[in-house]
Amino acid sequence: MKRTIIPFGPQHPVLPEPIVLDLLLEDEKVVDAIPTIGYIHRGLEAMVDRVEFTEMGFVVERICGICSFMHGMGYCLAIESIMNVEVPDRARWLRIIWAEISRIQSHLLWLGLGADAFGFENLFMHCWRMREEILDIFEKTTGGRIIHSVNRIGGVRRDVSDSELIAIVAKLDELGKAFDKTAKVFASDASIRHRLSGVGVLSMANARAVDAVGPMARASGVRMDTRLTGQNLYDQLEFEPVLETAGDCLARVVVRMREVRQSIDLVHQMVAKMPKGDGLPIETKVRGMPSGETFTRLEQPRGEVVYYVKANGTKYLERFRARTPTFANIPAMIKLVKGCDLADVPNIILTIDPCISCTER
Amino acid sequence: MANPFRLPMAPRTIRNLFSKPSTRRYPYEIRPRFEGARGTIKFDVETCNYCMLCARRCPAAAITVSREERYWAIEHLTCIGCNVCVEVCNKNSLSMSTDSKSVHTHAEVGPQGQRPGHEEWHGPDPVIAALAAAKV
Amino acid sequence: MDKAAFLARVGEYHENGWRLAIINATTVPSPDEATPGVFEISWGFAKDLEFETMRESVTTADEVPSVSEFFGAAFLYENEMRELFGINVTGIGLDLQGQLYKTSAKIPFSHAAVKARLEATAAATAAASGKKA
Repeated sequence: MKRTIIPFGPQHPVLPEPIVLDLLLEDEKVVDAIPTIGYIHRGLEAMVDRVEFTEMGFVVERICGICSFMHGMGYCLAIESIMNVEVPDRARWLRIIWAEISRIQSHLLWLGLGADAFGFENLFMHCWRMREEILDIFEKTTGGRIIHSVNRIGGVRRDVSDSELIAIVAKLDELGKAFDKTAKVFASDASIRHRLSGVGVLSMANARAVDAVGPMARASGVRMDTRLTGQNLYDQLEFEPVLETAGDCLARVVVRMREVRQSIDLVHQMVAKMPKGDGLPIETKVRGMPSGETFTRLEQPRGEVVYYVKANGTKYLERFRARTPTFANIPAMIKLVKGCDLADVPNIILTIDPCISCTER
Repeated sequence: MANPFRLPMAPRTIRNLFSKPSTRRYPYEIRPRFEGARGTIKFDVETCNYCMLCARRCPAAAITVSREERYWAIEHLTCIGCNVCVEVCNKNSLSMSTDSKSVHTHAEVGPQGQRPGHEEWHGPDPVIAALAAAKV
Repeated sequence: MDKAAFLARVGEYHENGWRLAIINATTVPSPDEATPGVFEISWGFAKDLEFETMRESVTTADEVPSVSEFFGAAFLYENEMRELFGINVTGIGLDLQGQLYKTSAKIPFSHAAVKARLEATAAATAAASGKKA
């Protein structure tokens, strides 16, 4: 029985961002894992003392490149809730359309990284090639591929014409067909099943005990999704969270794949339901300073994100806090890593969809 | 365990063998950017009236303006491409072009110590410009 | 703060199946030199569609008990509170001994640090508007 300590990270081919887990091994089994984060801590929350609240949106959307849109949207929603700003309908629909497309982009990125983690580079490239179509949609409508800068307090900064929206829906349908073929590979390939099935099982009781959020929890059968609260116009859409019961890595892959399909379907519904017409207002002018505090919750691709904003009547906020879903899932990751084989560690760590830039801000 | 002889990627792989690569051969082929994409800020010194709104509203403090010296400068590498300056300019002196920002491989420092990516303009002196216009 | 009552309420949330969503600390600047600055700590719990918070105001001298015995996932929030705010949290489940973040300035959200940053910003804006006018 040989005990060794292997540092996993901060640089590892499987990690999109640096994190360190000191793994204590007995032969090939991981017995304990001690996390160290802080490699990408930029102190963005301390910038509220230096950046005015009107410009803080630009800082917030740069917390992370993958979850960028929803950070900007969450910040604007929080300030609008404090200042009681009524955002025009078309802006609200546009925001959730972009949010769902952002979710598709994030899941495709993750599926590619997941395939790369167990060595299936061909599949990785296919997923990212599909993701390029989504980034083209973003560049056409918002001006940027990753950092969009379209959210402003009071609305959005750019409008998307109705014909453009119909073209986007058509493109997403095409993407859906190509994605179905790739999804078949994930579901039926023998080597993927061998690597992922039965690995890192999180039972429903454990998922509740470690307070897991997002697809981590949904793959264990916990029916948890912030979109169920019906805010942000989700009460007008037909939506049921994607659930799986197995709780292993393969179930989490399947949950994210089904969520891509579900997001394409949601965008269909949104474009059908939103108010049509050119020249509708997309922004409400906002004057004055915010005063008050609020908690805003959104469903990011990785789970539930909680934004806390406190304003004291000056142009600098008193506190801004983004509790990102990876922050909540790290205890789940540590719990899963204990007791697994060393070769499974990269798969398990990737399976929580770690966005360490979001975690450390 | 699933049947290892089922190869769901096989049709795609065979198709890839006989088609051209998806990867663009950059820098020999450059993808044209979409209209409205964020790129570099362009400035027209003739129309600027030095109201300094752009410098005040820039979130990254990339713009420096001096009214007395008729000087307008932007640090392209500090600019985050947010487009706020273009929106607030009353004289439409600023526009966002889709050209990607150029890459600086050396830390070229300008003659007065300007950072790489610095671009400045000196506007015409208003008294002389008014006299020239009056003479014509 | 009344530790026993606080832990009893947290225990109730746990019994009724609520989930810990967030533990957040805010540095509230003190209105004058005499009163010590306080931190407002919020514990956010979520269950199905509801979200409730508990709020306590503490100073650096107070001891805040950890909720790790009920919610194991709290250790990350509490380590962060200790490292970034200097709040004395006791009994954390997995105590990382101040090694969670690597910041160049220790305790970046302490009252002194926040005040220094706000004053620096005020000085910078005054200088910039003085120069531009």
